[in-house]
Amino acid sequence: MATHEEITESLKVFTDNYNKSERLKIMNRDWDRVVEVKATDVESEHTMILKDGVVSLKKGVVENPDLTVISDSETLADIFYGDITPTEPYNNGTLRIMGSEDDIIRLDFISLLIWGE
Amino acid sequence: MQLKRVLTLRTVVATSAGLTLASSSFIAAVQVAGFLLGDTAWIAILVGGVLCFLTAACFSELNGLLPTANGIRLYFKRAFNDQVSLTVSIMYMLIVIIGVVGAESYVISSILNEAFPAVPPYFWIVLMLLAVTAMNIRGIKIAGIFQDVITYGLMASIILFGLIALYKVNFQLDAPLAPGSASGIINAVAIGIFLFVGFEWVTPLAEEVTQIKQISRGMMIALGILSVAYALFTVGMTAVLPKETLAHSASPQVVFARAVLGDTGVFWMTAVSLAATVTTFNAGMISVSRFMYASAREHVLPAIFKKVSIRFFTPWAAIVTLFFIGLVAAGVTLFTQRYVMLVELAAAMESIVYALAGLAVISLHRRLPDQPRPYLIKGGYLVPALTTMVFTVLAAAVFTSNPWVLIIMAVAFLICLAYVKTAVPYLRKKHQSVKPAAKRRRPVRTAKEFDGKHE
Repeated sequence: MATHEEITESLKVFTDNYNKSERLKIMNRDWDRVVEVKATDVESEHTMILKDGVVSLKKGVVENPDLTVISDSETLADIFYGDITPTEPYNNGTLRIMGSEDDIIRLDFISLLIWGE
Repeated sequence: MQLKRVLTLRTVVATSAGLTLASSSFIAAVQVAGFLLGDTAWIAILVGGVLCFLTAACFSELNGLLPTANGIRLYFKRAFNDQVSLTVSIMYMLIVIIGVVGAESYVISSILNEAFPAVPPYFWIVLMLLAVTAMNIRGIKIAGIFQDVITYGLMASIILFGLIALYKVNFQLDAPLAPGSASGIINAVAIGIFLFVGFEWVTPLAEEVTQIKQISRGMMIALGILSVAYALFTVGMTAVLPKETLAHSASPQVVFARAVLGDTGVFWMTAVSLAATVTTFNAGMISVSRFMYASAREHVLPAIFKKVSIRFFTPWAAIVTLFFIGLVAAGVTLFTQRYVMLVELAAAMESIVYALAGLAVISLHRRLPDQPRPYLIKGGYLVPALTTMVFTVLAAAVFTSNPWVLIIMAVAFLICLAYVKTAVPYLRKKHQSVKPAAKRRRPVRTAKEFDGKHE
């Protein structure tokens, strides 16, 4: 089981890597979204806010997210550190993403561009 | 927690019904009528609708248990195993897309060819597939209010045509409860399942609604409206025209519309058929291309299908491949004119998937007994067991009435199984060999750190 701090750290690594990529910032400049990340086995909630192509991270949740990413703490930390791809946990039901299908594909693609296969 | 873009029940109903409404549905409706005596087609259609309620209950429980856009791929993987899930999913996508695109292309091209005889039928198919492909690549979706308007407009048109026809001939049921032989009824119900093909494809929306129960409620309402609409329309058709006349046409709905309302009817029905075909093509392409993308990401389909457009964030390689599959399916259907067999193939495949859905519910009761189920079928194993039995019999009825369907399905099954047994392990192995050496980015916690966090 990962801790809340580990999930926070993984999300920081993810957002830092995202913000370092000019390509991703240009690609997502019109994709303003609020993404909630929630662990199922520990008290841990974060919100990533994408605005004008730049992503920022805050602890806690906001009202009306566009996407909600839900999984156990271990899976979340591994995904955002890029140690595993989201595909396998998503396909076996460990990872749930609530939101529109197009947004889910884009989130998956962002992860692919940051971490590769 | 509330998502920003929450789909309403109205849109869930429209999506579920919209996926089933196709121009080729009228071919199936005429076939249903052909198996029964007199004007009793409504019995088979309503029975088909009621049986689909059983399936809807199974899908509701599965969807509540495992809310996912992956649908049967995940349900069957958890209920049976990965190989069964993959084989059935690939076969289902292949047969339904080929069956629906092929039959739909044939019907719509014959309608447009009648309106514009100088233009070759294949031209219309290429044009429509190109339009839908372009829409899909650009990520333009027929969704929300627009989807609602089209679907409710289609359902209203079907019901209105049926009522006008029945009124015009001063219809009275002659022998309402004498549909003929038992085998005729079973065959009629089996083909009637085609009328509802795809109603359960609404389950991927599970991730876009806040209350999972909305999906089950939406499916049930859609099935209810569709059953009544198709029953009225089919009885209207057979009341106005002889069954033989309808059976000999690739576009019986247009022949019927002409008989009821003359040129206005033809114009109206052509518009209805065009809308039905475009929404069917579009919904099919969206679902199957996303399935191909997800499968490529898990290395069970070639890596090319995970290519995503940088500009539109859509899986363009999968969409373009589907365009070519659609062209071939349409071309072969136009050449062979075997569109009825495609309807039978799709109906049989759908029945098999519904039978497996019942089995999946039973299996998951045993495998995941304690997992929360927002929708639990009442009566224990009765409904899923009944679903499995009924749809197995219906699939067998299609195979018996046309052995070619069984042969094609058996060949398709063997090809898919061989693919899953040989190509999938190869693709996974290939991925492992080209994958850079695993480098763990996440810092490893020491035992001391771990204990400190848990004191």
